[in-house]
Amino acid sequence: MKPFDIAFKDLTRSFRSTFSLIFMFGIPLLVTGMFFLMFGNVKATNAISIPATKVVVVNLDKGNAQTGALGQTIVESLQDKQLSGLMEISLMTDAAEARKMVETGASGAAIIIPADFSDSFIDPNARGEIEFLQDPTLTIGPKIVQSVLNNLIDAYAGIKITTSEASKKVASGSMTSDQIGPLVQNYVAAIHASTAEDKLIQQHTPASAPQKNAAAALIGPIMAGMMIFFAFFTGVNTTSSILREDEEGTLPRLFTTPTSQSEILRGKFIAVGLTIVIQVAVLITSAWLLFGIQWGSLLPLILSSLCLVCSAGTFGILICSIMKNTKQSGIVFGGLLTVTGMLGMINIFTGNPQGSPLGIVPMLTPQGWVARSMLATMSGASLSSILPFILGSFGISLIFFLIGVWRFQKRYA
Amino acid sequence: MQPALYVQNLHKTFRNGHNLKAVDGVSFEVNPGEIFSLLGPNGAGKTTTISMLSALLKPDNGATGVSDIRIMGKSLLAEPLAAKAMIGVVPQDIALYQDLTARENLVFWAKMYGLKGAQLKTRVAEVLELIGLTDRANDRISKYSGGMKRRVNIGVALLHQPSVIYMDEPTVGIDPQSRRSILDGVIALKNQGMTVLYTTHYMEEAQELSDRIAIMDHGKIIANDTHENLIRLVGQKTRISLSVNVEPETMIEPWRACNGVSTLVIEDTKINLLVDDSNIVLPRLFETAAAKNVRITSVEIQEPNLETVFLHLTGRALRDA
Repeated sequence: MKPFDIAFKDLTRSFRSTFSLIFMFGIPLLVTGMFFLMFGNVKATNAISIPATKVVVVNLDKGNAQTGALGQTIVESLQDKQLSGLMEISLMTDAAEARKMVETGASGAAIIIPADFSDSFIDPNARGEIEFLQDPTLTIGPKIVQSVLNNLIDAYAGIKITTSEASKKVASGSMTSDQIGPLVQNYVAAIHASTAEDKLIQQHTPASAPQKNAAAALIGPIMAGMMIFFAFFTGVNTTSSILREDEEGTLPRLFTTPTSQSEILRGKFIAVGLTIVIQVAVLITSAWLLFGIQWGSLLPLILSSLCLVCSAGTFGILICSIMKNTKQSGIVFGGLLTVTGMLGMINIFTGNPQGSPLGIVPMLTPQGWVARSMLATMSGASLSSILPFILGSFGISLIFFLIGVWRFQKRYA
Repeated sequence: MQPALYVQNLHKTFRNGHNLKAVDGVSFEVNPGEIFSLLGPNGAGKTTTISMLSALLKPDNGATGVSDIRIMGKSLLAEPLAAKAMIGVVPQDIALYQDLTARENLVFWAKMYGLKGAQLKTRVAEVLELIGLTDRANDRISKYSGGMKRRVNIGVALLHQPSVIYMDEPTVGIDPQSRRSILDGVIALKNQGMTVLYTTHYMEEAQELSDRIAIMDHGKIIANDTHENLIRLVGQKTRISLSVNVEPETMIEPWRACNGVSTLVIEDTKINLLVDDSNIVLPRLFETAAAKNVRITSVEIQEPNLETVFLHLTGRALRDA
């Protein structure tokens, strides 16, 4: 019973500390909440709200008999109503005025189609490059416009190949020049058809995967990252109560009571574990209720959460067993937790939760193993695919625990 | 009669670069129901001794014989948990959880001493009553005054009604009223039949409280007896404290050479002397000072006390040692 009495006392003290409460619950929810607000009310609309970019289009293309007016087809594509949410197209005739509008910020981007644009499809020597200008102070909107324009240009590249091949056939006499025009028109029509309803790739969501929305995709990994980062902080902070009690004289006093050293250490470790369990449970529930974050299936979530509890707790035990006092530990904890936390969750912080920008590096930290397990759980991965990360994390935790306990027993022998 | 506390041949050296010998062959016995004081200046080894008696420090193996600590017959080294159940320790500094209330602190420590259920509730209530904090029991320790904290600090050690209680300088840094209250409390504990091991560097406390006093200096017990017997060690010597109108060091050699002066030390601005007969020696001191053109500005003659004993045994003042 004594270990539980010690654990209960530590829990009471932890949850009476405003500092601990802020770090355990306040900051993780606050940071996630800030991202939630930054990306708009994604939970309600299930989409990211980005304002339409003002784009001025100057079409100087004269067209020709064989290809027709390809510049005009570009303009019509840009004016497609499907793109109206992303860009607000205004037509102009003066290229200089269009450039001036972008410079003054009156327009976010300008597209100037040159006079020889259509000719460039039949004349191999003609350049016919479209000029794209953007307001340098804007980032997302003009990039989207540029991306749409590039897609269109890529699609039109096939026309150049078609006309080139057709010209060779005209030269060899197997085709007349009158036949080139209809050929190009058919090609343009095909492009329009494919960009409208006929999609080449149909996207399906696996039935086993949890229902995804924009909130889960954007806020979920951030919340998981915050939870992991601050659970490790709690692990270290709660374990450092051993050092604090040593300095405050309550730990030596405990050793004068008929309570064995192992009972005292067990009590301390139970307190560390229970504190993180409560923290993780509260954060998971709060994130689900506040931000609509889906955490995946129950069993993998429980296992991943246990992984986090064990990993954060034993990491704290290991680190505190090495430190001599709280002054030393305060400095080391701040740096160590930040560095290992950032490395372990580099994928989340780089906005690429499922990727691996630094390859094996995250897996060199205990946070990395937990993050992989938690993110896989959130993406609906099967238990068997999460199991290696869970077992790896438990293995690391066991090593941390054994070293930490050995050092503490040696210190207080 | 079995002693309540039996201490034999304790040694402790701290190997922190310069091998400080903190305790050097300390042995003593404390009888049941006795208040036994360890008196000595700061750094004499009192706290290190009490730390070994509380199982916080392990005694070194002495060159001569085996160390042993027995509390009510139980060996602290062989049966630590059983022996620790017999003691209550009042540490020198406040060792309480500041963010818990007095009641929460007492309940927690009572559990650590193995109390449960109704017995736990009763003892917590009794101790709160004893330390006079029943009305403030639900206030956090951080809101208490220094004296109130001291009282809770002592109360914790009384929860399990130990046979022996260790009090390590419990009156350091507190106001006179709280100090008086603690001293009265220690006498009350003795009257209840409890054995008290009390460490202090205030000779007045040791003199007032103790049945026996062990004087410690440089890790050794240099005298161990009742107050009366310790005073007899000094013999008929009297302590004279003098002030002069020049630097006190000026008179060290001339007065040391005076017939009848056995010890001379400077404490702050005063010169303390141990003399055989003040009626004979004092005129000689005045003559010597006059010969040196030095004027004596104050004279204080004290009956022999523990301060005199320490001066006699070590050649140093207790407060300066």
